[in-house]
Amino acid sequence: MILQYGQVWQYLPDFLLGALTALWIAGVAFAGGLAIGLAGASALSFGPWALRALVTAYVRFFTYTPQLVQIFFLFFALPEAGIILSPVTAVLIGMTLNAGAYLTEIQRAGFASVPPAELDAAETLGFSRAQTVWYVIAPHVVRALYPALSNHYIIMTLGTSMAAIFGVEELTGRALNANAISFRSVEIFSIVAVIYIALTIIASALLWLVGRWLFRVKAKVF
Amino acid sequence: MSAWDIIIAEAPRFFTWWNLRFLFIALGNTLIASVAGCAIGYALGFLMATLRLPQLMPIGAVRAAAILWVEIFRRIPFLVLLLLVFFLSQFAKLEAPLWVIAVTAVALRMSALAAENIRGGFETVRPTQWEAALTMNLQPWTVLGRVVLPQSWRVILPPSIVHVLSMVKETSLVSQIGFIEITFAAKMLTQRGFSALLTYGTALVLYFCVSWALASFGRWLERRLTTRRPVSRPAASLLPAP
Repeated sequence: MILQYGQVWQYLPDFLLGALTALWIAGVAFAGGLAIGLAGASALSFGPWALRALVTAYVRFFTYTPQLVQIFFLFFALPEAGIILSPVTAVLIGMTLNAGAYLTEIQRAGFASVPPAELDAAETLGFSRAQTVWYVIAPHVVRALYPALSNHYIIMTLGTSMAAIFGVEELTGRALNANAISFRSVEIFSIVAVIYIALTIIASALLWLVGRWLFRVKAKVF
Repeated sequence: MSAWDIIIAEAPRFFTWWNLRFLFIALGNTLIASVAGCAIGYALGFLMATLRLPQLMPIGAVRAAAILWVEIFRRIPFLVLLLLVFFLSQFAKLEAPLWVIAVTAVALRMSALAAENIRGGFETVRPTQWEAALTMNLQPWTVLGRVVLPQSWRVILPPSIVHVLSMVKETSLVSQIGFIEITFAAKMLTQRGFSALLTYGTALVLYFCVSWALASFGRWLERRLTTRRPVSRPAASLLPAP
């Protein structure tokens, strides 16, 4: 047996489109997770104990169980309770909730990095809790946590590959389809692996530039 | 029927001795694949982390290769890595059993994460200590074993428990090649006609329990390792004790 890449190059444009799908799924889920995480971290820092317990339970549940099984549950078990989700919706909801739990944890650590004097100043100026979170804490969190957040975005881009299991045609899903047609498995999946590597390196580089220009983060992202 | 009715109606038929036995064997397989994969992965990762130390490895090309290894395996999704290992073993006509493929994939992925973790641990030791030890004519490997590792293993160990935890979760993807771990067991039970609420719900509970135990162990370890006395004691003061 010899590796025959000649038969497989025709799928390359298809794969690159799939990579775009992977990027937007990761982007949407990351944005949703960031919002959930900000709310969760504010609740953990300032909320009443019942809310804190609820958020802690949420974070524990989603960080202690595999994302794949969470999406399996959403996709296969919820229809029995009368909720039917399309594959993309199930993957997006699962990834968003999962990201929300991790980003709550990450952002909570960032809340601790805010100097207490600034919180006192905000209180003196009559900021509400929401205003304090948005105008005082969030900028600190973004700056202190930018490397951790961009790292999580990369992890989520890689995590989109499990959408293929539910029939979403992103990069891995298209690879499985091409594999079913051509049976050139090693060739296809090695190309896909290289695309993922290139994709995440480009994403890392872009995130590094954005961090450099927008937030003046000097820390390395790679 | 509401969700609760389904669960209550099916539970006695689901939680039988044979189903539970099946699930516990699957749990064992999950643990074996992740723990064995992590152990091999940590050994590989340690090798990669030491190979990129300029004090130990004078050849630049080898250092670059070690960095490349880490960057490659960090940036391939676990599912794609698993399928690649699976198809490569078929391609090479190895006829490897599924657990070997699972352990190999976990070990490759883990080696990249472990190398980064171990490198982070090495970097907590100041380079001046390397210079001092090398100036005293110690062999580089002796410096690593006697000077650097005793100080850095406390930093390395707690995140490695987190890595084992994340691998326990990643192995759920191994269900895709048919290795009977928790997720695949849940899938099989679903196909036997049990409610997906019950099967995947049980899988989630099992994963939660394992992860919770691991995470508690990791936190305990971290507390224990960080609150104990530092390795190098401060030099004795020249002043008389008060």
